[in-house]
Amino acid sequence: MSHNEHEEPIPRTSPRRLAKMLAIIIGIQVVGAVIFFTHYDYWNSYLPMAGKIQEGLITPGGQPPPPPPPGGKTINVSLKFVESSDFKTYAFNAISGPDNNPEIHANAGDKLVFDVTNGGKSFHAFAVTDSKEGPGPAIEGTTIGTADNPMKPGASGQATFVPSQPGEYYYICAVPGHRELGMEGKIEVAPSGGAEQPSSAEVKPTGNKVEFTLSFVMSSDFKQYAFNALPGQTGHNPDIKVKSGDTVTIHIKNDSKSFHSFGVVVDPDNSSATQQSRVQTIH
Amino acid sequence: MVLELRKPRPVWQIMFSTHHTDVALLYTITGLAFLFMAGVLALMIRTHLFFPGQGILISDPATFNRIFTVHGLTMLFLFALPFAAGIGNYLVPIMVRYKDMAYPKLNAVAFWMNPIGGALLWLGFSDTSWVSYAPYSVIRAPGPAADMMIFGLKILGISSILSSINFVVTILKCKHPDLPLRQVPLFAWSILTVSLMTLVAMPSYAASLIMLLTDRLGVSGFFNPSAGGDPIAYLHLFWFTFHPEVYIFLLPAIGMMYELIPRFSRKPLFSQASGIFAFVMLGLIGFASWGHHMYSTGMDFTTKVVFMIGTLAAVPASGMHVFNFLATMWGGRIRFAAPMKFAVGGIALFFSAGAGGVLNSAMPLDFITHGTYWVVGHMHLFLTGTIAFGFVAMAYYMFPFITGRMYSEKLANIHFVGMMWGTVQVFFTQHLLGLEGMARRIYDYPAEYTSWVELNQIATVGAWILGGSFVFFLANLIYSVAKGKEANMDDPFGLGGKYYYPYQAKNPTHHTGY
Repeated sequence: MSHNEHEEPIPRTSPRRLAKMLAIIIGIQVVGAVIFFTHYDYWNSYLPMAGKIQEGLITPGGQPPPPPPPGGKTINVSLKFVESSDFKTYAFNAISGPDNNPEIHANAGDKLVFDVTNGGKSFHAFAVTDSKEGPGPAIEGTTIGTADNPMKPGASGQATFVPSQPGEYYYICAVPGHRELGMEGKIEVAPSGGAEQPSSAEVKPTGNKVEFTLSFVMSSDFKQYAFNALPGQTGHNPDIKVKSGDTVTIHIKNDSKSFHSFGVVVDPDNSSATQQSRVQTIH
Repeated sequence: MVLELRKPRPVWQIMFSTHHTDVALLYTITGLAFLFMAGVLALMIRTHLFFPGQGILISDPATFNRIFTVHGLTMLFLFALPFAAGIGNYLVPIMVRYKDMAYPKLNAVAFWMNPIGGALLWLGFSDTSWVSYAPYSVIRAPGPAADMMIFGLKILGISSILSSINFVVTILKCKHPDLPLRQVPLFAWSILTVSLMTLVAMPSYAASLIMLLTDRLGVSGFFNPSAGGDPIAYLHLFWFTFHPEVYIFLLPAIGMMYELIPRFSRKPLFSQASGIFAFVMLGLIGFASWGHHMYSTGMDFTTKVVFMIGTLAAVPASGMHVFNFLATMWGGRIRFAAPMKFAVGGIALFFSAGAGGVLNSAMPLDFITHGTYWVVGHMHLFLTGTIAFGFVAMAYYMFPFITGRMYSEKLANIHFVGMMWGTVQVFFTQHLLGLEGMARRIYDYPAEYTSWVELNQIATVGAWILGGSFVFFLANLIYSVAKGKEANMDDPFGLGGKYYYPYQAKNPTHHTGY
């Protein structure tokens, strides 16, 4: 070190500079805290895609989940939160009379779509629950608003509920106390089935064995694909008719120039896993 | 002359400077600011655990998880790494006799990634724990917090890769030609070692973060068992980075002690060669022991033995450092100013932490201590007892050179006693808690387990003492920066030697001529 450096005065930190530095640090922290706390519910608010896929909320392609299994019908229910003028009785749709808290009947697998409006003057929150009393717990995905973040008067929203198990469910107001004042309606869910549902009983094998032969064919311009013959020719995509319980063997030959893979589905637009599992596919 | 104020400049000129002492100042202040922020979180956790079954202070488990997650991430990535980079920025160019870092602009870019990464970590306040193990972090950890954490860590990882490249080039290529590498001071050697380690270790974690993100988006399934992935793969990728990272945190602190111990013992270093050897050894061995974090994942016996031996191989190298320190101090005229106190305290606790580590690495014992408070105590004894002690020692040492003023020795003494006492009381007790079977990362525990209650309360009181000592540290910093005694810039600690001093930095305003 050289002694020349002592010729100029040694600058040292000062309270002023310290104040500036602290103002910068604390300022950044305060701004950060304001951003953090004003969006407090946002930061941890949704499941990752992988979790949604696991929960069956979406499919891996990012599409909404497949519609409910065959037989599931969509039932639209519109409900309105109403209050008596003295605020002592709360209900859905009407304080009294036939419209009061309508009972809903459905089968397991049906899709119930609730259109809910807050027609009262208080805050309310809609939920479906299987608990016989109290404000919940709500079944996931059936809520519109929560007790902490309720629907304001005049607000409306939509919720869906697909009961997988038969039993008694209730649609309620999830704000504590409101269910006890009368905001509660019953949902009776019968086992899935009924007339339109195919029988789930096992079919006994008939012992019949039938065999078919199919081949993949393609037009020379690769624009038309078919089985056995191109569209418009005889033998194009033949129907195969068999009896329940038959053992069906299908021989497949790839006569085309592309790669193909053979499979059997129940309904191409609506393939249900339970039905598919009873078809044994042999390549 | 004085590093921060060589020529008094507006604050914004320091903030957007590329000179190594300015970037160093930014790094150091950022590191210290995050140290205090994460310390507050630690005190919240400990205070909460003082009262079993009552949910005091932290009302729900998810918030508890978020707090210890951000505490860990902040202490490691926003205090330990930036602080070491800060001191490295101050000293490495001076030690290799170069005018600045090799790439000054890259240096500033690497620093400015820290506040951005820090903002992402703190705004999201994720709940994955700092390790973000799959499958929780893939399937359940709520967004956007966990995604922000992934991006934040990504940015911090790139920052540390950039600063590592800068250090390696500065030391190896910009070193003065008259200075042989073996004579480069050991602090610069420690920075060289950890920079090379970072360059080898970090890519694995960088890759696993991307895989974690794509897994979360549902487009891949590397670590997602329901998509055919393997969570253990994440552990391997993670610990391949983070066991070496333990040494990346540790070695700069050891390097700082190598700066302080000879100077305050007023004696030359006992052995430069053994220090270099031990650094390089630890740098290599650091890569041979990641599996000891995973003994209980069903590894086969041979693999476990290999990792156990790899872990134990760190003992001789660590011992070389300790003996080097002791031999340097032996017979010296030691002046126990604050930096020396913290350095020696750090050596003592380094030895204790290392002893616990030997037990840990023995795999039959590891099955008992795995996932318990023993591990928490062990790793905090390293992080607080050695790394933070070394960093605090260096902060006190650099204080007069940065500010031109002297810290208050009285407040520093209180800080030292409180920190030493607190560290021992919290983290030794946590070892015992682990042996009593208390699992780590739990929100609450039954009040009927009286031994847990007692040990937790002892640990919490220790944490209050530790936290209280840092109040004195903060008060000392703030008071002394503003009104501290004017330091004697030739020899602020009255050591009387002819050593070089860190304020001999070249003109910090060289960049203004562009």
